[in-house]
Amino acid sequence: MAIMVSIPAGIVANQESTQRLTENFNSTISNMQEEINKTATLIECRTSSGQGMSFGTPSGTPGDRPSFGSRQEVFVSETVGDEIGSIEGVKDVVPFLEKSSNETTSETMNTPRGSFTISRPLYTITGVCLNSSFIDNYSILPTNITGGRKLREGDSGVLLMSSNLTIYFGVGVGGKVWINGESFVVVGIYEPANQSRMETRGEVYMNISDAQTVTGQTGNVSRFDVYAEDVSDVDGITNVIEAAYSELYVTTYKDRLQSVQSMQERYTQTLSSAESTLSQTQTVATQEIILAVVATSLIVLFVMLYTVRERTKEIGTLKAIGFSNWNVMSQFMLEGIMLNLVAGIVGIAIGSIGAPILSGLLLPSMNLFGQSGSFRADSQFANSGVFGLGAATATPDLQTMLLALGAAILLGALGSLYPAWRASRTRPAEAMRYE
Amino acid sequence: MSEAVLKTENVSRTFTMGKREIQALSDLNLQVNKGEFVAIMGPSGSGKTTLLNVLGCLDKPTRGKVILDGVDVAELPEKKLYKIRRNKIGFIFQTFNLLPYLSAIENVELPMECTKKSKSERREKARKLLGLVGLSGREGHRPQRLSAGEQQRVAIARALANDPAIILADEPTGNLDTENKYEIVRLLANLNINSGTTIVMVTHDSQIATHTERMLLLMDGKIKKEKQGLHLTKKKLMCPYCGSKIQVDDERCPNCRKRL
Repeated sequence: MAIMVSIPAGIVANQESTQRLTENFNSTISNMQEEINKTATLIECRTSSGQGMSFGTPSGTPGDRPSFGSRQEVFVSETVGDEIGSIEGVKDVVPFLEKSSNETTSETMNTPRGSFTISRPLYTITGVCLNSSFIDNYSILPTNITGGRKLREGDSGVLLMSSNLTIYFGVGVGGKVWINGESFVVVGIYEPANQSRMETRGEVYMNISDAQTVTGQTGNVSRFDVYAEDVSDVDGITNVIEAAYSELYVTTYKDRLQSVQSMQERYTQTLSSAESTLSQTQTVATQEIILAVVATSLIVLFVMLYTVRERTKEIGTLKAIGFSNWNVMSQFMLEGIMLNLVAGIVGIAIGSIGAPILSGLLLPSMNLFGQSGSFRADSQFANSGVFGLGAATATPDLQTMLLALGAAILLGALGSLYPAWRASRTRPAEAMRYE
Repeated sequence: MSEAVLKTENVSRTFTMGKREIQALSDLNLQVNKGEFVAIMGPSGSGKTTLLNVLGCLDKPTRGKVILDGVDVAELPEKKLYKIRRNKIGFIFQTFNLLPYLSAIENVELPMECTKKSKSERREKARKLLGLVGLSGREGHRPQRLSAGEQQRVAIARALANDPAIILADEPTGNLDTENKYEIVRLLANLNINSGTTIVMVTHDSQIATHTERMLLLMDGKIKKEKQGLHLTKKKLMCPYCGSKIQVDDERCPNCRKRL
């Protein structure tokens, strides 16, 4: 009975988690595609490749040497944006200024070659062109606001802060922070989408002119988001920008699409392997249940046959004192059913308590979640929900339990049918002789 | 003339063992009257148990009639026989055959289980019967906590549960020591005297058999000899040995001190 309870529970749990997985895949992929379609016309032009990450210098070396492994933050004049804007087919150019903070955190790493102090900027200052048409049409600002409000056109002297910075600054919404000697009011706090460990760096968003002032980069920007009139213009614009401004690193939706497609392939692969595992599991489970049913019936049959044989004399006595065949048969049927009912209740108890363990033991392991680690690499989607899945938890529901109990009664009746019939057929005169 | 409760007419019972045919009963004629206490004696293999089984509707004769209370039970199908066994016959076995997992009173209630009596009626009747066999206060005991003699008393109470027309006892004293043997046979004799219960007892113990009123000697499936027992005089409350007056419950004759 334990088998009958825990296996279906295990299957249901696995089915549910696979279904959840599928749903998550589908929603993630459709989200991504939507995102890509929305940004199909986007051409990203950065002054440097990748995000900034400054490694410190080996301890003891003078600081004026270029930092080892560091990426120089490069800026271009914002007039470049105007020039790009005049390229045919360009609809909008949104300038950004991204600069690492002067404040750093440092940690010391011990390696065989000596100890290194790694210092990282504490946060990034991002200046955004707060043009309301840009804010409305393009996703240029964080959306996951947990307190306060978003930035809007005309904001100055205010900033939007990632939640992980609130502790450092010790402020909340409405609080005042000093950045490079300028004071800003925190109008909003957002939850950063990116949870990867290496990039826990905080960010503050502010008006681009504020950012230029505070970073000393007046008139400079570090990134343009160029939006084409139409998807067909993207290639042409890209070529022109790349030819004219060798200092800009250009990425288009095609590059992004490629990475999404490869991710989708991996998703699909995992899903199909999960599905095939599940169908295998179901086959095995069905076999196991059939086996359990057959075994139960046979056990009842043999136990009851043995009982009838052991109690032949008793049966003879019962018949001698006036029990009818039907009385005797129902007596033994009832015994078989009671036997199985008790076994069933015990089994259900074991099954309910041990379902997760038992179904794990009885079913081949489902390697659905082992692969989710690989998704983690796509940190962009790290919190999309796909990875929020725990292991399948098998908890048998009431229906399964009642079903198992019904099966117990039925199998008890089935298994004891023949022994009970044999008991009822016992000839009393012969039964009395039996010792 | 007394009326016959049980009567057999040319009853034969043949067993087939392989190719050999064994004639356990051959053209046996027997009559047991109402209120009689009859012993059937005979050596091993003389057909005693077969006869009792045939009389008790546990076995069917190959030939002949068995008339119980006016009904030829040899003709009845199994479907109807259980009712005869339930209502007309009380069985007492050599090995008591109590159900070990039931208490004394539950064992006595068992034959009434399939009747229309209510639970309280059954309990009441069982209590009364246990009192009758001298087991008041031991109703709740399981068979294994009762002595052999007590177990047989429970079995006798059980046999009486449905007020049968006849009690068939198969070696009821066979598994008992001397003291208990006489206890049981005296209990049966008293039942016979006090309630007028008809009893047919199979035994190979001649000592025990003499306490009945009629002894039938069975040999090779036939009744060879018939003898009067002591019970007849006891019924008249006279000592069979010295003729002095006795009480029903007396264990020994108050005059000659012989065991009754």
